[in-house]
Amino acid sequence: MALDFSVVWKYLPILLQAAVMTVVLTAISQTIGTVCAFFLALARMSRRPWLRWPAGVYVWIVRGTPLLLHLFFVYYAAPAVGITLDAFPAAIIAMSASSAAYNAEIIRAGLEAVHRGQVEAALSVGMTYAQVVRRIVVPQAIRIIVPSYMGNAISHTKNSSLASVITVQELMLTAQMIYSSTYRAVEILTAAGAIYLVLTTCLTWLQFYLEQVTTYEARGLSARRRRRLLLDAPLPGLAA
Amino acid sequence: MIEIEDLHKHFGRVRALDGVSLTVGKGDVVCLIGPSGSGKSTLLRCVNFLEEPTAGVVRVDGRRVGYREGDGRRRHMSGRELARMRAEIGMVFQLFYLWPHRIALENVIEGLVTVKRMPVAEAAERGRALLAKVGLADKLEAYPEHLSGGQRQRVAIARALVMEPKVMLFDEPTSALDPELVGEVLAVMERVASEGMTMLVATHEMGFAKKVAHRVVFMDQGKIVEVGPPEALFARPQHDRTRRFLDKILV
Repeated sequence: MALDFSVVWKYLPILLQAAVMTVVLTAISQTIGTVCAFFLALARMSRRPWLRWPAGVYVWIVRGTPLLLHLFFVYYAAPAVGITLDAFPAAIIAMSASSAAYNAEIIRAGLEAVHRGQVEAALSVGMTYAQVVRRIVVPQAIRIIVPSYMGNAISHTKNSSLASVITVQELMLTAQMIYSSTYRAVEILTAAGAIYLVLTTCLTWLQFYLEQVTTYEARGLSARRRRRLLLDAPLPGLAA
Repeated sequence: MIEIEDLHKHFGRVRALDGVSLTVGKGDVVCLIGPSGSGKSTLLRCVNFLEEPTAGVVRVDGRRVGYREGDGRRRHMSGRELARMRAEIGMVFQLFYLWPHRIALENVIEGLVTVKRMPVAEAAERGRALLAKVGLADKLEAYPEHLSGGQRQRVAIARALVMEPKVMLFDEPTSALDPELVGEVLAVMERVASEGMTMLVATHEMGFAKKVAHRVVFMDQGKIVEVGPPEALFARPQHDRTRRFLDKILV
């Protein structure tokens, strides 16, 4: 059977619409997941066992089981507790929960990578713990977190395809529906693949950009920073 | 300026400090010497409450560190109160602990800007002056990773000094430095001492102690063994343990 890509042009608007759903699904769940991940990371690092243990168990279970299982679980378990859940909200919940678990560990690793000595030096100068976190820990942690976080975001984008099994009208399900009626599986899947590739490549570019922006030594100081610090002003006369 | 009364610090079963009492008057330079594990670092860290004592009292300029005074029971200071006290106690660490994401000048003025809420321009003036004073006028824009150990430690000293503390604590400031870089840091410390700063210095640099210290304190296994003016303690140690330590250290 010869390949006929005209099918792709014909169904492109539908595929792109489904791609929008994929992007929305990924973006919303990644955002919710990141916010939750932050609190989860703090809980994991807490000295209070009643925070640390539940957070640890949650991360352990969610990271140790497949996303596919989470999707089915949320979708089928919801009626059991009396909530009727549409496919899309169910997918959001499952994917947010998953994103939270993975990103919690990424965030925690970044925060803990900042040497304790720097924190002590900052406390010694009279900063409160909140100021230390804001001025010293977070700026450095971000640099460590970005590559892992973005890598996870890219995986998350691809994993959104699993939502198809609980009938969310994202790219993968839409592609399947199209080729099941047109019998042009190769062409349609190629098109879907190309769209996924565009999405992940954009994220990869974003990752490179963020890595650049968070590298402090190589880039030199901005003109504004130089001015604020009076770096180009002549040194006042001083006795040696 | 610093009053330490019967200080104890246990880490589990390890007695890092076992009943230490010491007074450092205003303008005094006191050097702590002793073998590793004798408690010098722990003592310094209790003064600015980086370690919480198991028992005993530490006072800086009359105020108890870490706890609120009054009504018998020991109650912790709030985070803010402790931070405010720490702003008056400068500390210099063996491993410098400069902040790598800030240039030298920013390291120095971070405290002024964040803690004392000084405008950046004014802070930058003070920072530049102090860095020039420690001999690093040409290194304002350098990131710590581009500085030698001696330069980093001098930035760290400037960072502590710029806050205009009442006392300065030095935790083996030259122990991590290459020998040829030790001198430049000691020179800065000598200058700080000559300007009347109250200093408590844990060190192995006996030459510095002899030259600058008013008193030398020999510690071993969490206790103060002997105290005295450097010439007396080095030349005529009263205790056997002191003598044995000095024999190994003094050339």
